Parts: sequence; structure tokens; C-alpha cells
Amino acid sequence: MQTTTESPLWRITRNIILITATLAVVFPYFWITLTSIKPPDLVAHPDVWLFSPAWDNWQEVLFESDVPHNLLNSILVGSAAVLIALLVGSPAAYSFSRFRTGGPGVRFGILAAQMVPPAILIIPLFLIMYHTRLLDTLWAVIAAHLTFVLPMVTWFLIGFFDEVPVELEEQAMVDGCTHFQAFYRVVLPVVRPGLAASAIFGFVLSWNDMFYSLLLTGGDAKTLPAAISGFWTFRGIELGKMSVAVMIAIVPVLIASFFIQRYLVRGLGAGAVKA
Amino acid sequence: MTRTSPGRWRFSLQHALVLPLLLLIAAVLLYPLLFSFWVSLHDYELTRLNDVTFIGARHYMELPQNPSFMNAMENTVIFVVSAVGLEFIIGFSLAHLLYQQRTLRNAYRAILLTPMFITPIAVGLIFRFLLNSQLGIIPFLLGKVNISIDFFGPQLALLSIILIDVWQWTPFMLLLLLAGLESLPLEPFEAARIDGASGFAILRYLTLPLMRPVIMAALIIRGLDAFKVFEYIWAITRGGPGEQTETILFHIYKVGFRFFRMGQAAAMGYGLVVVVILMAFTVYWSLDRLPLRLQARRQHQIRQQMQEQG
Repeated sequence: MQTTTESPLWRITRNIILITATLAVVFPYFWITLTSIKPPDLVAHPDVWLFSPAWDNWQEVLFESDVPHNLLNSILVGSAAVLIALLVGSPAAYSFSRFRTGGPGVRFGILAAQMVPPAILIIPLFLIMYHTRLLDTLWAVIAAHLTFVLPMVTWFLIGFFDEVPVELEEQAMVDGCTHFQAFYRVVLPVVRPGLAASAIFGFVLSWNDMFYSLLLTGGDAKTLPAAISGFWTFRGIELGKMSVAVMIAIVPVLIASFFIQRYLVRGLGAGAVKA
Repeated sequence: MTRTSPGRWRFSLQHALVLPLLLLIAAVLLYPLLFSFWVSLHDYELTRLNDVTFIGARHYMELPQNPSFMNAMENTVIFVVSAVGLEFIIGFSLAHLLYQQRTLRNAYRAILLTPMFITPIAVGLIFRFLLNSQLGIIPFLLGKVNISIDFFGPQLALLSIILIDVWQWTPFMLLLLLAGLESLPLEPFEAARIDGASGFAILRYLTLPLMRPVIMAALIIRGLDAFKVFEYIWAITRGGPGEQTETILFHIYKVGFRFFRMGQAAAMGYGLVVVVILMAFTVYWSLDRLPLRLQARRQHQIRQQMQEQG
């Protein structure tokens, strides 16, 4: 790549294309940010780009709406789902990686489990929560999110455990650890970056889900995405508040994305190709 | 304790470590799946829970004759094929451009990848706003040059939804395909260039064959994911105009949660699974098996020609 000399014309063309693509990605973010600080009476005017920023929308959403409550729900659901997935998934992933437990079919099974469409799960989950009177509780949403967070986290972790050399735990066992101690005292600390990346990614998956939250909750247990879908009415003023709610939902994830991007390929792509 | 053979002990540990996962998967995935199948065999309506009768496969038999279901299935297949196809073409091109790029490569990549991380309902709402014919900036700017497009009208609604999906998910293709390009060995490409191969020949006979596993993984993962489209529809059209943008998940939502026909909705879920598996298998076959067969046939022909020529 470095050896070939490329024509300056191609280099300029390429940069123009890349800049255009970048603008296409960034413009919606820009516009929603702009709208969130537009004075309410200007929100319906797309031709107004310059104005003195007004914080009415932010103030109303942060202090006079349910959005903070929904935000808390999202954080609780995501944390619980990720915590359970890590507790249950990491020993299993270690076993799959180190002992090949269940053979090659297991990896495919986990991948398939993660692909089970919500179309087929929502009806039984709803009925189960209905009969156990768990509708509109955080437990219902956590259980639903585990259906995809658990396989995804386990899948990621298998890849990370695959990279740990066996000698490491053999050495620990020579030094007098039992195998289980070698696992949680030696191997787990080594894969800590992998655990963190899987945790963040699992949390983002849970954070982004609207479908289950929308259908399994009605009020108190609504998470943020289900709540912002309620801003869809286009009565001028709502639009500004919708922009604020949308920003609250996407900004944390945009920041997290810069940290997990490089792990994502390793966890997802590499694993998929290897299997 | 000391008598236990290490082999036996290890055997029990490896299974003990897996047990919690299996139990939890059984609880949140397996049981709902089986329950769903049971529901699909019954006349199960949320409004008549005391009167649930077994009807066998009747819901399944009725699916092909149900015009709304078939319409939703058709919309979904059109959506998946067009969206994933466009995402692949754009993602592959962008991956190539980024691969050649030296300055600001990581900055470009970090920004270009962001859409795939944000919640789809936010993307749906943002684009409903951007494309709205009265309030949106895009129709406003198009109006300046006398172009008037009704993005969510009868002709274009499904296409607009497809383009929104392309905005959000092309980054996924870019992520996987760029990683694939970066992991290719350099030697064959240098050899081909020294031999004077054209750019097209390199793409056709080197890049594509070498990238086949990555391309297949990207297409299948993204394809399966695209079948779940719901949020854009919910945020923007709610299936309209008419039923023109009603996708399968939205239709199942309607049947189950607005008409309360849980049994029928569960059967539709299983109907979807059949279609999804067929599509995944088609992609796998045409990318993994078919090229091998074509190659074998071509080699066979060449060998025959050589034999005929003596």
C-alpha cells in the first residue's frame, strides 16, 4: 500500500467522498442538537439556523417530565442484565473455550440463540409476565433483555478466553491453585479488558432496545427508548423536547462507541469468521 | 478427596461452569419458545383466556391465505434484500476507500461507525423530523431547487424506510469489511500488481474470493438482524399508508397486541423463522457452495478441452 504512488486526483476524489459520507452521518446529530436549543416558537421553522439558544426544552425534559425516571429504569435494567450475563456467562464461556464443552455445536447454538427473532419471543414473554403479574416491572424487561444480552456476552467472552494461553493457568495450578481458583484468580483478571468490552456492549444492546420495553411495560417501568417513542406527536413544542430526549438516549452511547469499536471486531467479526 | 482422579474432577468442573448458563437459557429462551409453539396450536385470545381450545395446525394452514400476513412478509423481504444489498455495496466501497486512506483514517472510521450504536427509535424519530414535508430541513432545501418529494407518501414510504436503515447499518458492513480487508495477506496483491493485473481483475479474482468468509458473515448477521425492523415503522408510518410499510414484526405486534389474537401471532412468529432460515441458507449456499461448484465445473471443462487438444 505504501509502495504505490497514487495520483493526486484520486486522493482528492477519495477525500471528497469520505467527507460527504461523514457529513451525511454527522448532519442528523447536528440538526437534533440545534433543535434541542431552539426557542419553542422557532422549532417548526427549518429555515432558521441562527438564534439565541433557549434552554426551555432541556429544563422541561430534565425537571418536569418522566424522562429522568425512564433514564434510571434504563440504567437499572441494563446494569442488571449485564451483571447477570457476566456472572452466568463468563464461567460458561471459559468452559466452552478451555474444555470445548459440548463440542463445536455449542458455539453455533449460542450464535443461533442470539438470532432468535423477537417476533417469536414477545408473545410468550408477554403471556408469562401477564400470568405472573410481572407486566410493567423492571424484572419483565430484564428477563426479555437477557434473551439477547446473555448469548451476545457469552459469545464475546468465548473469543476473549480463546486468546488466553493455557500455560498461565497450568502455572497457577502447579503453584497450588485448584482449577477453579486458577480460573477466577488468574484467568479472569487477564481477560478484564474483554469483560469490560462485553459489559459495555451488552449494556448498549439493552439500552437501545425499545421493542420489549414498549410491549412489556406501560408506565412505571418504561425505559428511555420506549418513553421517547411517545414524543412522536408532532405538535411543534413536543419536537424540541423530543430532540432533548433523543440526545439523552444517544450521546452516552456515542461516547461509549469510541471505546468499544476496536473490541467489537474482535468479539463479533473474528468469532463469526472462526466459527 | 485426594483419591479422585484429576480427569474425573475436571469433567465435573467443566460441566458445573456451564450449568447456570444452561438453566438461564432454558428459562428465558427455551421455555418461551416451547410455550409459544403451544400457544400457536391453540385458539388463544387475550380477551378470552378462559376459553382456549386446541385447534392443531389451523393457524399455520391459514397463513398463506392471509393477505395481510403475506403482504407484511413481502414488504419485509423487499426491505431486507434492498437494505442489506445497498448496505453491502456502500459499505464495501467505503471500506476500500478507508483502506487506502492514510491521513485521518481512524478519525473517519470512528465517526462513520457511530450510527450503528444508537437506538433505532431515535434514528426513526430524527429522520421523521428531517424528512417531514412541513417541518423537515431536507424537503425545505429540496424545495429551494423546486423539487418536491413526499418521503412518506404512498410511492416512497418503504424506500425511505430502507434508506434510513442504510444510514444506520452501513457502518456495520464497513466495520466488518474493513477489518476483513486489513487482515488480508499483502503478498498476492503485490504479485498481481507486478504482473500487471487490472484493478477489476484484482477485485474479482483476489479480494472477493479471499474476503468470502467475512462477506458471508456480514451478510448473514446483518440480514437476520434486518428482519427485526420495527422501530422505524413505529416511529414514522405505523405501517401506512394503508399497509404499504407494514413489516412482519409490526404485523405480529398488531395481531397480538391490538387484536389480542395471541395464537395467530405466535404461528406467524414461527412462519417468520422458516423464511429467515431459508434466506440464511440461500445466502450460505450461494456464497459458500455455489462458487466451489462453478469452479470445479470450470476446471473440468478446461481439463476436457486440454484433453481434446491432445
